[in-house]
Amino acid sequence: MDLSRRHFLEAGCGVGLAGSLGACVSASPIPAAPGMPDWHLGYRSAPAGGFDPAPMTLAFGKVPADLKGSLYRNGPAQMQYGDEYASHWFDGDGLIHRIAIEDGRAVHQARFADTKKRREEQAAGKFLAPGFGTLGDESFSVEGPDDVNAANTSVLVVNGELLALWEAGSAFAMDAATLETRGPKTWRDDLKGMPFLAHPKVEPDGRVWNLAVGGERVGIYRIAKSGQLEDFGMVNIGRAAYIHDWTMTDRHLIILVQPWVNENLRPPVVAGFEWQPEHGLQMLIVDKDDFSNQRWAQAPARMFFHTGSAWEESDGTIKFDVVLYKRPILGVGGGAAEIRGEWNAAAGDEHGVLTQVVIPPKGDASLVESAIVGGEFPQVHPQYRGQQRHLTVLTTGVAANRPGTTAITMHDWASGDRATFDFGATRMVEEFLFVPKSGGSSEADAWLIGTVLNLKAGTSEVCVFDAAHVSDGPVCIWQADYSWPLGFHGTWA
Amino acid sequence: MTRLSSLIAALSTCLIAAPLASASDLTVTVEGIAKQQGSIMLGLFDEASYEGDGAVDGANLTVEGDSVTVTFEGLEPGEYAVRLYHDVNDDGEMNTNPFGMPTEPYAFSNDAKGRFGPAKWDDAKFSVEAEGTAHTITMN
Repeated sequence: MDLSRRHFLEAGCGVGLAGSLGACVSASPIPAAPGMPDWHLGYRSAPAGGFDPAPMTLAFGKVPADLKGSLYRNGPAQMQYGDEYASHWFDGDGLIHRIAIEDGRAVHQARFADTKKRREEQAAGKFLAPGFGTLGDESFSVEGPDDVNAANTSVLVVNGELLALWEAGSAFAMDAATLETRGPKTWRDDLKGMPFLAHPKVEPDGRVWNLAVGGERVGIYRIAKSGQLEDFGMVNIGRAAYIHDWTMTDRHLIILVQPWVNENLRPPVVAGFEWQPEHGLQMLIVDKDDFSNQRWAQAPARMFFHTGSAWEESDGTIKFDVVLYKRPILGVGGGAAEIRGEWNAAAGDEHGVLTQVVIPPKGDASLVESAIVGGEFPQVHPQYRGQQRHLTVLTTGVAANRPGTTAITMHDWASGDRATFDFGATRMVEEFLFVPKSGGSSEADAWLIGTVLNLKAGTSEVCVFDAAHVSDGPVCIWQADYSWPLGFHGTWA
Repeated sequence: MTRLSSLIAALSTCLIAAPLASASDLTVTVEGIAKQQGSIMLGLFDEASYEGDGAVDGANLTVEGDSVTVTFEGLEPGEYAVRLYHDVNDDGEMNTNPFGMPTEPYAFSNDAKGRFGPAKWDDAKFSVEAEGTAHTITMN
């Protein structure tokens, strides 16, 4: 990284290169709320109406000429009503962002998903719905999962239709241009109200696979690139394990049954989890062509949220990467205290390890740990999903005294090399996605795009890296005139 | 004799007419039906039958517009509740998704909503008065 880039990042507002481009934003820094640490900026509610389309300022660097499309992101953004804080970060209403990039310009807009939960809580001016970490008000009717759907976890675009994803209810269809909510997505009449996990898997040719998790019973969706449901089937995973994510090769689905079990999915859901390490981390491997053709693999007990991607070698060995924890990281205050500006050190002392799971054709799986401790949100090149590959990018740079991460790291499984860029303590770094370069021919031929919260300037930023040169720092940064709360996951379309 | 016969006849009339004199009609209208096909399968319950399988009375109503109406005659005045579903595909069953959640529209009297289950009796009950009662349920 050259000095000017570092200077810009440390200054919060461009001088050096950015200054010479005349692109410095004169945003007035947003002071932290009284008594709140600077990082609490990431946990403050967004305006009820979201954000109307507003151009972002190119604050640094040069925009890649071939970068054209939209970065969609989702995350909880209603954290407070009056003096009352949400009980859990995961229960905040989903705010769906679109950052449209074309001709070097970026325009940000965002809208809350219009759910029953959102409508009734906005009308009442208080939290009512039960949820992951919320007991809820007795007056709030719940006739099905979508009545408590927060639509706040991720996004997917299928055949031009934008879907806001949660994990325990339907996807919510939205207009990909205006972000207006159309309503819960029903893939087939007999599947109305079935959950649609927030981590669908998209094959390089556009076919989408996803799970519907309901205790030990798991549904499998196969959706054509056109958006038509091609198949749906059910499998049994043996116990009501918590499933946030999963993985797949070109031939098999791999459902990770972690020993974090919740037999009683009543609110607050988080209170019902039980760590049962005696089961180990089990994996159900399902043939994509015949869901009844299954086999199990076993690994030591681990907890996880997110996988990278899997592939299959010629002898049938399956390899995939995943961030694994030796014990659950929820249930000790994580996800609840941050909203109130508190940081529970106990919640921050268990770090995930980016790990490669190797499942031989027969016998137990082995865990190959990388040196990356404290990373999350692993992502891979979309054209290599399900295929043999070696690159994984993830957020890194955790600190003991605060939530979030400050860096991104590219890990090379083949060489063991890793490249990191750390923005420093004034930034909170979110998930970065691979965007294939025009005409690219390798995994490294990609841009990485993601959002960063600039605590010093009080603004949200969109950063682009060259996947082959992560440690050089961003190639460009757009800065909004304002900030929006931290989110979870995004997609590029 | 004639007087006695008249008296018996009068008493008989009274006995026959007695239930009618204290019985009521209930007219239930179901509005806001989204799909103009299939049938509204409607059950009328009292408190004792509400949680069970049996109903006090019921009706299968062919859907031809966005509302249907049925009148139950000769009810004892008192508290009742209605549970109904829209059998859109007319297969005689309330269809569910693989996790058991209804995929066909349903409703309760008072437009009552459940919380992790059917609407409670106390939320769905309404009074059928001696002079007759009309009750409207709106599907949504």
